[in-house]
Amino acid sequence: MSLREPLRHLRALLPWLAVLAVLAMVPLALAEGTAPLHGLAPLAADQKVPRRLLPPGAEEPDDGPSDVIYPAQQLTLRFNHALHMGTMIGATCKTCHAAAYRSHSATDSLIPRPKECDACHGTNHDDLSAVKAGDDATGQCSFCHLGYKAADGNAVAQLQMPRANLQFSHQAHVDRNIGCQQCHGAVEQLELATRDQLPRMRGCFKCHQMPDSASRGEAKSACDTCHLRGTAGTAIQSLFASGTLRPPRWLHNAEHTPDFLERHKLVAADDSQFCANCHKEDFCTDCHDGRVRPRSVHPNDYLSMHPIEARMGTQKCQSCHREQSFCLNCHLQVGVGESSPAGAKDSARFHPPKNVWSDPPVKPGHHGFEAERNLNACVSCHTERDCVTCHGATGVGAGFDPHRTGFVGGCANQFRRNPRPCFVCHEPSDGVLAQCR
Amino acid sequence: MASARPVWLGATALVGLVLLGVRPARAMDSEVTSDSTAQAYDLRSPTGETLLSRRRFTTMLGVGVYDLFDQRAAAPGDPTVPEVSFRARLRYDADYGMSGATVDPGNPTSLVPGAMQSNVDLMYGYLEGRRFLKGWLGFKLGRQYMTDALGWWSFDGGEVSATTPFFVKVEAYGGLEQRGGFPLSTSRFEADGVWRGNRSGYDPSLYPQFQPAAIAPAFGAAIESTGVTWLHSRLSYRRVYDTGASNTSEFASGLYTPVVYDGARISSDKLGYAADANLADVAGVKAGVVYDFYNAEATQLYATVDGYLGKKVTLSADYDYYVPTFDADSIWNFFAGEPMNDLGLRANVDVTDKISVSGGGKVRIYDVQTGPQAPGGSGTYAPYPNYSPAFDIFPGNGHPFDEGANLSARYRTGATLVSLRSAGNWGDEGDRVGADVAAQHVFESRYVTSVRTGVWQWDDKLRPDRDATSFNYVLGAGYRFAPRCQTLFEFEHDMNRLVGQRIRLMLTLSLAVGK
Repeated sequence: MSLREPLRHLRALLPWLAVLAVLAMVPLALAEGTAPLHGLAPLAADQKVPRRLLPPGAEEPDDGPSDVIYPAQQLTLRFNHALHMGTMIGATCKTCHAAAYRSHSATDSLIPRPKECDACHGTNHDDLSAVKAGDDATGQCSFCHLGYKAADGNAVAQLQMPRANLQFSHQAHVDRNIGCQQCHGAVEQLELATRDQLPRMRGCFKCHQMPDSASRGEAKSACDTCHLRGTAGTAIQSLFASGTLRPPRWLHNAEHTPDFLERHKLVAADDSQFCANCHKEDFCTDCHDGRVRPRSVHPNDYLSMHPIEARMGTQKCQSCHREQSFCLNCHLQVGVGESSPAGAKDSARFHPPKNVWSDPPVKPGHHGFEAERNLNACVSCHTERDCVTCHGATGVGAGFDPHRTGFVGGCANQFRRNPRPCFVCHEPSDGVLAQCR
Repeated sequence: MASARPVWLGATALVGLVLLGVRPARAMDSEVTSDSTAQAYDLRSPTGETLLSRRRFTTMLGVGVYDLFDQRAAAPGDPTVPEVSFRARLRYDADYGMSGATVDPGNPTSLVPGAMQSNVDLMYGYLEGRRFLKGWLGFKLGRQYMTDALGWWSFDGGEVSATTPFFVKVEAYGGLEQRGGFPLSTSRFEADGVWRGNRSGYDPSLYPQFQPAAIAPAFGAAIESTGVTWLHSRLSYRRVYDTGASNTSEFASGLYTPVVYDGARISSDKLGYAADANLADVAGVKAGVVYDFYNAEATQLYATVDGYLGKKVTLSADYDYYVPTFDADSIWNFFAGEPMNDLGLRANVDVTDKISVSGGGKVRIYDVQTGPQAPGGSGTYAPYPNYSPAFDIFPGNGHPFDEGANLSARYRTGATLVSLRSAGNWGDEGDRVGADVAAQHVFESRYVTSVRTGVWQWDDKLRPDRDATSFNYVLGAGYRFAPRCQTLFEFEHDMNRLVGQRIRLMLTLSLAVGK
């Protein structure tokens, strides 16, 4: 097939294409008259800000910085950083935020004063009770002040930018030649700067990795380097009007998930000082040396339920209770323990029937198995005499050897360090002890 | 020997009081806290009669004085200045439902040795210094806690630490382990396996197995990483001694030749290590191990791996190995207790900023000795008089696994907390399945309301007559009259066939004032 045929069809379509092109120009022309205002969001039309423009440490997807550290703001101004810092105007960060270069506190206001705008916009903010608008469109109050209505008596909506709940010295960072972008991201490529351009804690840790001591002047990693000191004995303040500080997942995976109760030992055993930044000892002792049953740990009628959990060792009772004190004392009082006083009320037999629990032959349900599976459960009710009665080397039950297989191989080490328990079951003159001496 | 402890405590308290008293006009921060709880409930036997009437009152008084020498006040906002602080917390805990005869050595038919030996205890009381010698030196002096891979522990003494610029902190400490039977002390922190306490007023023949308390010298050291935030580890060593006389003749009747063992001896001797590495957005690893030199074996080993699937989901695998060990004075170290091996999988999903769900399952694998001890065989044990092979045959325990699962969820806003916690455990020892739902809401930042309800069902495989399904609810109402000051009344009601109707009443009052 020659090319002539398709060209002929194309020629026939050309008028129609011209008509479509004209029609397409109509909405574009209309749009020109209602073009979206710039400076209302970080990017025009509130597009998503790519991660490369966000402060270091921003996650993907990004939820912004901590609401607790940086409380919610109400921005009532329109501003285009990219325009002001572009080649047409050529401003730098310092042009408007010179105060930041001298600031030692996060409570300093680093937003430029309104009169900084006057030189270019033709406005006059010298007297804030009688601000004068400029001559052209960029000098009109409504050009920058969102929601401005002349009928409101020259009033503008107030900018609400709560102070960060941090201690921070901009000057200390500037003095170390740390550029604004290293903490705030590529603000010069954005229009309106919002909370999203405030630093992320993860970004701080790119530098703040130094030991607290001997690194004076360097980026220390101690929490109170940046966080506000606690006023009640904690290293940092964690309760604010804006919420409660909680650790993020990326920090030791200490995120306080609903199951953190079960796994918090993994964090505390490794670095208890990390926990102590927010929690005082009292917080730990409420459970670990507590005298009031925490229902989040021991729910419902736990008094009736606890024998099963103790035998299963689902929760390690000894994490919070000493068996030969806390458990035993109560068990003796209620007559569960074999050493209970004669006057204690009889709580009936606790264990399965004797033919299962203690008679030979050994079978599932026998106390020997239960002891092997969870000896702690035995220790919570019995004193050592209860066991010695049958397991002692002499006397009533002599011969019921409780030692594990291979015990003799390591008993010399134990005998040398503390022979006392050996003498509980064996007479000092017992020849068998010679194997451990 | 026992008098040494009050001297320690008195000296610490005196230092605190002097520092508090002579410098009242300084800019130091200070606070006084008080937490009190009154609770009443009964414990009944299966046949319905009351076994225990609990009428308990617990109150704690805390004091904290920070920046004692105004270093921080002189340089506000500077985190490098040294600082000295003092913190203490005193507790009174009494059960007014307990009969006086329970603690009366002159009434052996009711005496329970060790019960309520000290109504008042000093939970902690220490002077702490930080960042001295240009940040190198820190110290603590007095009764203090220590938390690491070796557990949650308390002692009276001193601790000194040096934080070097080489990402390592070195720590050494020594003193006396906190032990029960002494004034202002509890037995919570001493190694388990020995029944002991204050035997003052006891006839020697009265409960000879209840051992007299004696001081327990202890020392330890640790090396810990510091600075780097994505990697942390701590290696710690601790040794504790038992001292004083210990009765090894358990029967007053003289069944054995009466023997009292006396002298310093090991109570516990352990090395622990814990480590944590975390790569944000990728994964984290935590692991730890405890080696017991007395028992010459690794008694704890755990490891967990967390994988981060995006921002919202964390998948984890856990392994936990545990062998029960006791004070070296205890006979139970020699018993054939076998390790527990737990394997688990977990997941957490942060559904929204306010809603999170966690769940997982695990299997516990028991290792039970099944071979005979073979006394007299292969030169191991001499034959005992009553030995019979029939006593010593362990055929296997049938079902070597326990299984468990749990599911938790939480909805949290500033004033509202709603949580679900459910769990199921199944094994030869019994089954337990249930769930709790709890909600708390604070109206107008002052009016506290709470409600909790749950249903739990348990089967006691060893005592079938103790199976039950229990329904419970708790209603609470309180008033928060300052940020850390609150009073709360709670009404708890349990219903099941074992206890019928059990009511528990609780009233708590928390107060805090600071400057």
